Parts: sequence; structure tokens; C-alpha cells
Amino acid sequence: MMSYIHFPVIAMMTLFLGAFLTVVFGRKSQAVRVFLALLSSGIAFCLICALIKPVLIDGEVISYWMGNWSPVEGYAIGIGYEVDALGLFFALITVFTVLLSCVYSIRYMERDSSLDFYYVLFLMLSGSVLGLVLTGDVFNMFIMIEIMTFTSVGLAAFRNNRAGSVEAGFKYLVIGSLGSSMTLFGVAILYGNCHTLNMAQLSSILAGKLTPSTVMAFALMFTGLAVKSYIVPFHTPAADAYTTAPASISMVFSGMVNKAGVYGMIRLTYMIFRAMDKSSVQLLMVIFGVITMFVGVTMALAQHDFKRLLAFHSISQIGYVITAAGLGSALGLTAGLFHAMNHTLFKGLLFLCAGAVFYATGTTNLDRLGGLSKKMPKTTICFLIGAFSISGLPPFNGFASKWLVYQAVYEKAVTSGNIFYAFATVAAVVVSVMTLASFIKVTQAVFFGQLPAALEDTREVPALMRLPMWIMSCLCVLTGVFYDQVSKWLLMPAANATLNVSDYIDKMMGEGYAAGAGVVNIPAFAPRFSFWNPVLWLLLFVIVLAAFCLAIIGSKGDRAQISAAPEDAVDGKYATFFSGEKSLPSHVSGSDLFWGFKKNWKGYFKVMDDIHSGRVNDYALYVVAAAALVTVFMFGFVR
Amino acid sequence: MEYLKIIFNILVFPGCLFVGAVGLLLAGLDRKVLARMQKRVGPPVIQPLYDFLKLLGKETIVPKAANRKVFLAAPVVGFSALVVTALFLPVLGYRAFEGSADLIVLLYLLTIPAVALIVGGSSSGNPYAGIGISREMVTVMSYELPLICIMLAVARKVGGSSLCFSLSEIAAYQQANGSLLGSVALMPAAVAMLLVIPAEVGTQPFDVAEAETEILEGPLIEYSGAPLAVFKLNTAMKMYIMTTLFSALFLGGLATGVTALDALIQVLLCIALTLICITTVHAVTARLKVEHLFKFYWTVVAGLSALSLVLVWLGF
Amino acid sequence: MIIVNYIASVVLIALGFYVIVSKKHLIKIVIGMSIVDYGINLFIVSTGFNEGGTAPIYKMSEFFRGSYFVDPVPQALTLTSIVIGACVDAMALSLVIKLYKQYHTADSDEIRRLRG
Repeated sequence: MMSYIHFPVIAMMTLFLGAFLTVVFGRKSQAVRVFLALLSSGIAFCLICALIKPVLIDGEVISYWMGNWSPVEGYAIGIGYEVDALGLFFALITVFTVLLSCVYSIRYMERDSSLDFYYVLFLMLSGSVLGLVLTGDVFNMFIMIEIMTFTSVGLAAFRNNRAGSVEAGFKYLVIGSLGSSMTLFGVAILYGNCHTLNMAQLSSILAGKLTPSTVMAFALMFTGLAVKSYIVPFHTPAADAYTTAPASISMVFSGMVNKAGVYGMIRLTYMIFRAMDKSSVQLLMVIFGVITMFVGVTMALAQHDFKRLLAFHSISQIGYVITAAGLGSALGLTAGLFHAMNHTLFKGLLFLCAGAVFYATGTTNLDRLGGLSKKMPKTTICFLIGAFSISGLPPFNGFASKWLVYQAVYEKAVTSGNIFYAFATVAAVVVSVMTLASFIKVTQAVFFGQLPAALEDTREVPALMRLPMWIMSCLCVLTGVFYDQVSKWLLMPAANATLNVSDYIDKMMGEGYAAGAGVVNIPAFAPRFSFWNPVLWLLLFVIVLAAFCLAIIGSKGDRAQISAAPEDAVDGKYATFFSGEKSLPSHVSGSDLFWGFKKNWKGYFKVMDDIHSGRVNDYALYVVAAAALVTVFMFGFVR
Repeated sequence: MEYLKIIFNILVFPGCLFVGAVGLLLAGLDRKVLARMQKRVGPPVIQPLYDFLKLLGKETIVPKAANRKVFLAAPVVGFSALVVTALFLPVLGYRAFEGSADLIVLLYLLTIPAVALIVGGSSSGNPYAGIGISREMVTVMSYELPLICIMLAVARKVGGSSLCFSLSEIAAYQQANGSLLGSVALMPAAVAMLLVIPAEVGTQPFDVAEAETEILEGPLIEYSGAPLAVFKLNTAMKMYIMTTLFSALFLGGLATGVTALDALIQVLLCIALTLICITTVHAVTARLKVEHLFKFYWTVVAGLSALSLVLVWLGF
Repeated sequence: MIIVNYIASVVLIALGFYVIVSKKHLIKIVIGMSIVDYGINLFIVSTGFNEGGTAPIYKMSEFFRGSYFVDPVPQALTLTSIVIGACVDAMALSLVIKLYKQYHTADSDEIRRLRG
């Protein structure tokens, strides 16, 4: 039995190998393709899970030099793969998402053609993201980013017979390659300064020494990775790509690909440059995060397409993650990581529900859907769980992580005395309420209300598509109720590993290297969860619910009864009430809701509509302008 | 023995029975005093209880276009959330469950009944309900912003330079330093909270979501029988809970230590607050349109609570 | 340290950004992306230059401690980057061809179905 040191690389290579074998053998037969895809994602999942014990529980850091090129005289000369708790945290999210998406795609994609291309691109995307989170070399990370971008473009443009897919792919390519180019430029400057590409060695050399050229590198890499995380103003291709990609791929995009960008930003600021203790960098990240949250959710309120709305919500929730991770405190980092994990779960669930609606009805236009809960009840339940999770209602997981985020941001406000963070907390809560409003709109527009005549014969989606949805719903509930366990086993090791880089550096470069470069250790941190014991509350909830149900059901007989419409009821007392007028089915669709809110904000919505003009030149302008602003800010304020 | 006490707490005091009874009393007093203000005689004070019992005996009809499970579950979910909230609010010094109250958690628990109303109305499939839930959601969006500013201001005032969201610490602070209503920095916040209470409870001028004359009770249009009774009970319970929250945040420091006396003083405080912020405002105003409601909350009320936040930050 | 190379690469990158932001024709935008890539490649390979150094190709017998050669690592990075640039160009141009077939125009002002 080989040692677990080899598992990270094997997991990544299995996915790439699966892609290659699909090209060779999977041309003709769907069964071979599905088998290869399931096999590779399954193997990768098992291998990464096998790493939980050594890395998360025992606290070990796995270091692996490709080709056995170990450092010579304290200089890294090979490509190193290093798995610490932070990397494994994101790797677990990655392989989990890949496996569920693979299971979902089996039935979802059966009506599309050229499925061999689909599976090849899908497996390469998975392999590249897994490589990104496991690697310890900065240029290797850039390569993985590039593979990720190409395959994402291919998958976004996959359904090229539908309107807008190729356009979305092209915009994604232009903006994505702008981001990658900036990252490469930053890497080149770093190499010119430090003559090494290994993250551990860079971290010890750069050790707070910020010369003008390294500040330039920091600004460029920061912007490049921010483009990959799709924070505002780099979010424009994400909205298009998540809409046109097939739903199983949208789930992978929102669950995995932008987490890779977030992982990159955390590694860059917390580890390579170790700049998170500077208040200027914290302020920059929190400003980005707050703007992202707000723009994401207000744009979502104005959408007419189901998946585009979900895409904007994805952008908004990543704003929460960046805000929390950008605070620089241990509680903030824990909150950010928790929200990242929960986002994968509930947003993945929501995209899968959107895919189910598309599979059943053939449209995702909110103005043409309605009343689907009578035809697709199981999908409705899953969707409601996802919607309540993302809005942050107790006892789901969104509530636990958002509550931690509020605590972290307000604690930062109180300890630093800066009132900006207090307003950031207010903004976060308001954005959460607007998220709730947006999902009420979608629920009314798609699942409740009246069924249009065109959708009379929709049926529930197949069981193989429902299985990933059920798994994610259960996890949403479980991680919300047992979040202290999640924190103890997953989040605390990851947060501690990020804040204490000396273990990482020592494992990679040899004992004592970190101490020699002046890296100090921070004591381990345990977040306080004393005020919210969800198991107790859940018990109370259940007791009260049961008591009242008994009271209602107990009063049977002549006095009270519940009459529901029998199947052949024509009219009479079971028809909905229209004030006595005989009227056509009149359904309050999604665009008609929240008229009062939209009227007050007319000017803002007009400006936002003009900003999201759809022209690739405008989108590129936002990227370049924001890069320039970030560079000026860093030169001006980061010392 | 412990479980018996817990069940007593949940079912009787301060759980279902106590909150339900005081809520219905407040609702009845509100109607009676409103009638007297309008030179009418008005219904008897226990009229809401008569309505509740009458509705329990009526037939419940589930319309054909409705989703049956969600339609019937929505009022019960709202009721459970309100009872859970009431269990964690202190009755002037008596706390049923120690050390588990947190302002942010309460804020989220208070949105659950509104969401239950919205989802229940949405699931009935009626277009009037669709309009009603849209207005209700805009109302929720309007009052959440000032409410969070108020809570942050109170938390900062009590906590000083450390984070304090716990209701027991707020009560202890007020016991030691006098009620927060007296501090200059939190006066605007108290006024803002008094304006938030009618919107949460859904009385005029902020009851555009359940406008009887326009959209025929909005989300509740298809409800009848026991579920409707539970929704009406929820509204009544919300009156009690919001006024208790106000007294916990701003009128602390009045605890005597004797549970029965505390409960009596709390009920009297709730009655006084109801008459001030719900009945009087109801009697002298007309209904606001939804866009004006939103503008009012996001300019005037949010401005007051933000002013309080800034003042507290500056150290007053 | 060749100043001229560095200045030229920054000028190329800036030019490339300008082309992407301001030109309307899709193929010009793709050319702009390529110019950015070329500028970065020039930058990377210039960071490895050591004045008076030889090419980094040695037999094991000729290799000793004081050998002075230019840095081979940036050359490897540049090769990788050139290949990536070629792939990006290929993919972008194929997307442009598909777009032209669907929209019958290659003007970025017209290709705006997804917006708002």
C-alpha cells in the first residue's frame, strides 16, 4: 500500500487521465463515458477523503516534490505540491462538487449531443481546480488557472445552439485572459525579485519586505486572482457564463471555480505576502467585499432569467466570503471559510433545481414559469431548503455562517474603532434581507402561483437527478445544526493553518527554515459559539410544532375539518377567489413583484443596467480601471 | 423534574399560553382604545379571543391551485418561531433558558413569521395573495435596516470595546447604569424602534400588505378556519414580542426579582407601549402606499437609527 | 538588466489593454489579447538575463561552481506562456468564427444579447 504522500498528485492526475481516456475510448459509447467520468471522480474523491485523517485530524502537512527535485542549499528547484489544512478544505469542496455534478449530468445531459467533448472538458476542469488548490508553486498555480479558464470557456459555450452561449464564452475568454495575464505578469515580477517560484520560499523571502516592485507584483496578482473570484467589477463574465452553461456545469462554476479564486486570494494575502496584518490591505478587501455584496444582490432583484439571477446571487455571496476573509482576524477567516463551504452546498443545490426546472419545462424565463410545485413537489422542497439557506434563516447552514460573518465584522469594528466596519455589518444584514426578497420572488414566480397552460404536462425529474439534490439538502440542514462539529474538524484546522505559515514553510524547505527567516507562530484559535445551541432550538421548534399539530388534528369531528379539492372538482368552493369576476388565469409573475422597491431605486437600476451593457469592451475597461485603482491604492497606502 | 419545568416553560409561561393570552389581550385593548379614540363604543376587550375560538370551529378549505402541505404548514411554522422567540426574551428579569439569547439570532427569528406569512400566501395560488406578499416583502426590507442599526447601537453602548450581543448582558448593564432610554445617544434609536413596531405588527399606517379594502387581506385571502385562526394569533403574539423586545432593550433595570410581580409589570409596560406606538399612530394616520413606506423607513427611520449609531461611536 | 526590453514590454502590455478596451471588431480584440501576451513573454524572458552569461547548455563535465550563464527558468516559463498564448488565440478565433455565423456581424456593439 503506497504512502498517502502520493495521494494528492494521484487524485489530480486521475482526473486528467480520465479526460484523456474519454477522448480515446469514449467517442461512440455513452456508457464508457459515464463509467470513466464516475470512476475518475470517485477515485479522486476517495483519495482526497483518505487525506482527512493525516492532514486535518493529525495536523500534518504533506509535502511532495515532483520528480523528487528536493531543495538544494535552501533553494527550491522543483515543482512542489503541498497539502495543508486550508488546501485540503478546498480540495474536499472541489471533489465533492465534482462527484455530485457527475452523477447529475448522467441524466441531465442526455438530450445534448457531442457529449464526449462535455466529459473531457468537465474532467479537465475538475483536474485543474484540484491541482490549483493542492499546488505549492506559484507558476503551477498560473498554469492551472489557465486550464481552468479554457475548459470553463468551452463549457460555457457548450450549448452553442442556444442564444447567447458563444457570446458568453467569448466574453469569459477575454476577461479571463486579462486576469490570467495580470497574474502571470505578477509572477514574473516576483521571480525577477526572488528567483524562486515556490510559495513557501517566497513567503519567507518576502517576509513583509515590500519594495516598489513587489508591491506592483502584489497589486497585479491581487487583481488577477480577484478576476478569477468574480468580485465586482470583474463579475460581468460570470453572470453570462453561469446562465448559458448547462446547470451541472453552473453548479461546478459557482461551487468550485470561484472558490479557487478565493483560495488564491487567501494564499496570496495571508501566506505569500503575509500582508493581512496591514490595515490598508484589510480595508481594500472589505471594500471590495461590501461593494460586491450589494451590487450582486441589487442586480439579482432586476433579473428575468432564473439562472442569471442565481449567478448574481453567487457573486453577492462571494462578497460575504471576501469581506469576512479580508478582516485579517481568526474569527473572520473562520467565518469566510465556513461561508465558502456553505455557499457551495446551497448554491449548488439551487443551480441543480434550476437545471431540473429547465429539464422539465425547457425554459428558465421567470415570466413564463409558474405553479410548478404541483407538478414537481420534490424539487420544490429542495429549492425551498436552498432558498432558506441562502437567505440565512435558522436552522439552516446559511444562518450559522452569516451570523459568524456579522460577528466577525462587528468585532473588527469594535476593536479597531473604525465606524466603516459597523456600516459594513449593516450592509451585510440588509443584503441578506434583499437575498430573502429575491428568493421569495423566484419561489412565487416559478413554484407557486398559477400554472400556465403551456406547462400542463411537466413531470418530476428522474431520480438520478434528484439524488444529488437530496444529498445537498441534507448537508445544508446538518451543517447548520451541527456547525460546532464542522468548525472543530474542518474550519479551525484550516484557519489555523492559514495563520501559521511556519509549519508549511518548514515542511517544504526543511526544518528551521521558517525560524531562520523570522516567521512567528500565532497560538491556536477557537471561536466562541456560546449563544446559539441549534440542537436545543431545533428540539424546542419540534416540540412546539408537534404540540400545535396535535391541537389542530385533535379537534376532529363536526366542529373542524380540513377539506381539500377532490381530483375532479370543477368549480365552486375550491376555486381561487377573484372577487366574483370570471377571469383568465392571472399569475403574479416575477417581474411584477417588488414594484415599490424598484420605483424608489429607479435611478440606480438605470445606471446599473447601463453599466452591464453587454459589450466586451466595457467589461474590459472595468477590469483595467479597477486594476489601475488597486495599483495606485497599494503604492499609496501599503507600507 | 427538569423536563417538567422545561415543558411548563414551553407550554404555559413564558411559552404558548402566556404569550397567546397577553397577545390577545393587547390586540383587544388596541381595538377598544382605538374605538374610543374614534368616538365609537368598540368590541369587548376579549373579542380577539372570541374570534380565535370561532375560527377554530370553522371548516378549512384548501383551494385547488394551492400546494396543500406548504399551505397548511405555514401558519404553524410562524407560530412555532414566535413561541421560540418568546421563550428567549426575558420577562423583566425572569429568564426561562439561561445564556442563549443573542440579538442577531432574535432578529433572524423575527423574520421567520413574516416569511411564513409570505410563503403561505404564495402557496395559495391567488393573484391577490401574490400582490400582498410582494408588499409584505418590501415592508420587511424596509424595517430591517433601521432595526439592525438600533441593535448595533445598543450592542456598542453596552459592550464598550468588546462585542456584546447578549440580552442578559444588556439587562445587567441597565440594572447597573439605569435604563438605556435615559442616555442621549440612544434616544433617536428608541424613537426609531417605536416606529418599527407598527410595521412589524402590521397596523396602520404600515399595513399595506394586508390592506383589506384593496387586496382583500392579501396573503390571507384563501385561508379559513384553524390556519386563519393561527395567523391572527401570530399577529397578536407579535405585538407582545415586539413591545417586550423594546422594554428589554431600552427599559431595563425595573426587575423586582419576584416572578409574578415581574410578569405583571411587563404586561403593564406592554400595554402602555402598545397604546403609544400602535393604537395612537393607527388612530391618527391613513395607510401609506408601499413605495412611500419604503422611502419613509429608509430615510427618516434609518436616519434616526444611524444617527444613534454614530453618536454611540463617538462616545456619548 | 536590459532597460529597453522592460520598457518595450510595458508599452506592449499597455497597447494591448488599449486595443481590447477600445476596438470594436472582435478580431482586433483577439489581436489585442495576443499583444498583451507578447509583452508579458518579453518581460519574463528579460528577467533571466545575466550580462555576459553564456547559454545554459552544459555537459556534466564542463559544469563547475563558477559557471556563469543566463537563468534557464524564465526561458521555460516563457515557452509555456507562448504555448498558452497560441491556445488562447486559437480558441478565441474559433469562437469569433462561430459568433460571426450566428450574429452575421463581428462588431462588439451588436453582440450584446446577454445584458442587464
